[in-house]
Amino acid sequence: MPPRLHPSTFSSAVTTCSSLRPQCVSQPARTCREFSQTPCQRVTKRRRMFYEWLNTTGAALKEPIPGSTNYLGAYDKFGNLIRASPGWSRKRKDDQPKVEEPASTTDQPGGQEIEDELEISVRRSEQRKVKNKDDENELPPETAEDLRPFPMNKYFRSQPVLSEELREAIYQRVKQDGATVALASVEFGVSNERVGAVVRLKQMEKEWIAQGKVLAIPYSKAVLAMVPTTPYVDPSKPENKYQRPITHEAINDLIVHPATRQQLFVPVAESREFTRVDAGKAFDNGLLPADDRIPHPELVLAEKEIAMGLSLQERTSRALQRMDEEAQRKRRKEDKIKAELMSLKTVPKRRWDFVFKDVSVDAVGRDGRDYRGVGWRYGMPHEDRKRGQVKIPRRIEA
Amino acid sequence: MRKKARFHSLKKLRVRQDWSRWSLYSIAKVAQPSTANRTFFQQKWTAKAVTRAYHGEHIREKQWKHTFRRNLPAVVPMDHKYLARYNGSEQASGRGSGADTVDKPRIPPMTPYMQMTYFPLERRLDSAIFRSLFASSVRQARQFVVHGQVKVNGKKIPYPGYMLNPGDMFQVNPSSVMFATGAPKTRSSVKRKIDLEKKATRAAENTTRAPPPSDVVAPPVRDEPTPVELKKHMQDLMKSVEEVLSEDANVKAKDKQKFRALRQTIRKSISLWKTANPETISTLDTQFDFLKAQLSRAQPPFSPSPALTTTPSPIYNELAPAPTLSEDEEVALRKAFDKLKLETETTSKWNKRDSSAPYATPWRPRDYMNAFAFIPRYLEVNQNICAAVYLRHPVARPGLAEVPTPFPVETGQLAFTWYLRRR
Repeated sequence: MPPRLHPSTFSSAVTTCSSLRPQCVSQPARTCREFSQTPCQRVTKRRRMFYEWLNTTGAALKEPIPGSTNYLGAYDKFGNLIRASPGWSRKRKDDQPKVEEPASTTDQPGGQEIEDELEISVRRSEQRKVKNKDDENELPPETAEDLRPFPMNKYFRSQPVLSEELREAIYQRVKQDGATVALASVEFGVSNERVGAVVRLKQMEKEWIAQGKVLAIPYSKAVLAMVPTTPYVDPSKPENKYQRPITHEAINDLIVHPATRQQLFVPVAESREFTRVDAGKAFDNGLLPADDRIPHPELVLAEKEIAMGLSLQERTSRALQRMDEEAQRKRRKEDKIKAELMSLKTVPKRRWDFVFKDVSVDAVGRDGRDYRGVGWRYGMPHEDRKRGQVKIPRRIEA
Repeated sequence: MRKKARFHSLKKLRVRQDWSRWSLYSIAKVAQPSTANRTFFQQKWTAKAVTRAYHGEHIREKQWKHTFRRNLPAVVPMDHKYLARYNGSEQASGRGSGADTVDKPRIPPMTPYMQMTYFPLERRLDSAIFRSLFASSVRQARQFVVHGQVKVNGKKIPYPGYMLNPGDMFQVNPSSVMFATGAPKTRSSVKRKIDLEKKATRAAENTTRAPPPSDVVAPPVRDEPTPVELKKHMQDLMKSVEEVLSEDANVKAKDKQKFRALRQTIRKSISLWKTANPETISTLDTQFDFLKAQLSRAQPPFSPSPALTTTPSPIYNELAPAPTLSEDEEVALRKAFDKLKLETETTSKWNKRDSSAPYATPWRPRDYMNAFAFIPRYLEVNQNICAAVYLRHPVARPGLAEVPTPFPVETGQLAFTWYLRRR
């Protein structure tokens, strides 16, 4: 069979096609070898539509907008930035900070906070600054839709991250001023875990600087310019005197306990005061009320003391007492760990240390299966060579 | 053998976990699941297929089935003031005696549990790396892990399937991150040749002209002087400047002006040192910032001075140019210094042209990265050191699900129902 030859008319079709698209993204050149058996890539409707999209909406998403986020949710079908005024053009650079929609206050049942409001309250000060500048080329602040990287998913949006200054401030507050994690968390409106993580990461960053390692500064700048950030309101500055600190996230998140997922009908006498404690017990005997399960129960205590009408001195003395107790508990825990380490006998060697620990043969228990038992146990074969045994570590000690 | 299906196909649009333009296009084309003329099984099947093409497509189906959990985590943000004011009994108070709620309480937004189907996959090391914007796709993240570029809690972990525990810190090699997120290197051999020629001509020009500005570089961080030393250096410098100003009669008026400016800057920096207490000085970063600030500040003096060259500080030695400079040479040098200052301000020291780097230099983010740039709240990322901490498992909260998924909640629900194994 003679090789199939492609008609030469194809090449003209390609040139017309490329002339239709004068813009940036070029379709890969159709290399149609004369004697090739592989089917030639035709300019299908799908491909045409893809490149059309890429040259309208896609072109707007190719590079970041300076001083703003640039997500798919912010554009309409035709690739126009919805929140931009008609005169807005992308070319001119404006150093506008990233801000969100204005706040609105509503009441929620059951003492729940609204996440949206927290988000909205973020970056108030910046918003004010923006309003002062009247420039038609200014982008208005992003709405919730503008922060959606996935337009179809209404329940996901790009949430702000901590700015560099805020991270530094948290680090200084914890490391230099010696504030506890809980205190820093309340002050900055950042959850407990995040405060710990920020301090840990910042510490590592300082170590890197001290060692003269190369940091990924250009990457960091680029990323922090692309995502929304929570700015730091420095209270020591005179212009921020009457500003509240900006809340980054909800700090009192209550984890939904699996026992509370079911609906429960508990008959209770009308005369009885059925509180949260009782409700918790009705769901599960060991379930504590929300007051004790939130990350900051001390805030509830403090509020209760205010409601009781205690004086400021009394409240501070009580708070100090609580902090003292907390510190003592922590110290005791550390002492215990230290004592355990001290009880081990260590013989240092050139490469490894030998550590001896007192064990008892009886620890294996009557059936020899207790997890505290050590050494080779008869009747308990190792299964680590068996098929299907996963060897990926479960946890890695820091 | 059957040909492997295209990863990005226009015929069958699939959203993938990467930052490509095909993914962006497919995200834009995601639609509500079609229910007309389709059985429930078909709907579920399609939803499963579409979501699995995004979530952990590199994981075998059976593996994912084992990691699937039907209990989806959620939290409710609480108001501590409310908790302090009420004990919960107020919600039912007076119900039995005829009190009925007149105004209906506002219903909080729905908690989108159904968008949380794939939350166990977010725990995997490779997807966490992708989510913290350290890799441009999950497959690349996986490759980084396998190639030993990733450490968890300071230990090299070659398992992409390692399930992160809350509090685990993972770090990726910064050069890999810059490679993954940076624009690719595209330089033709012709362009390289042209550049080489240009460079040669520039070098030839430079030999005839002023000393190149490249000899003025930021001091290496390692052997930086302590603040005390620095202060001493500055005081010495001050003394020498004073000497020049008082004694030397043949110093020109313009040079004198420059010397006065220099004196001012030195005085300022000394006072800055005085105000700072030892605690603030002791931290390494302040030292670093201090030095940088000094470098940019000590930039004005370019006049010939033998006194300056004798100062003990290595920084100022570098900064003091060779004597006998003509006017236009001075201008050129000043320009070079200004450029240097600008560069240090935009930290271009870290972002210089480097032909050996595997990405386009100076570094810039790759195309379409901004459309995918979001960091979920369950991660805390420090971009400077390319490290992140996995704070907690992703949760759903009223109106918000933390698992990033491009699909509508209906699709999520269908997929979840598929894995409940009641077909």
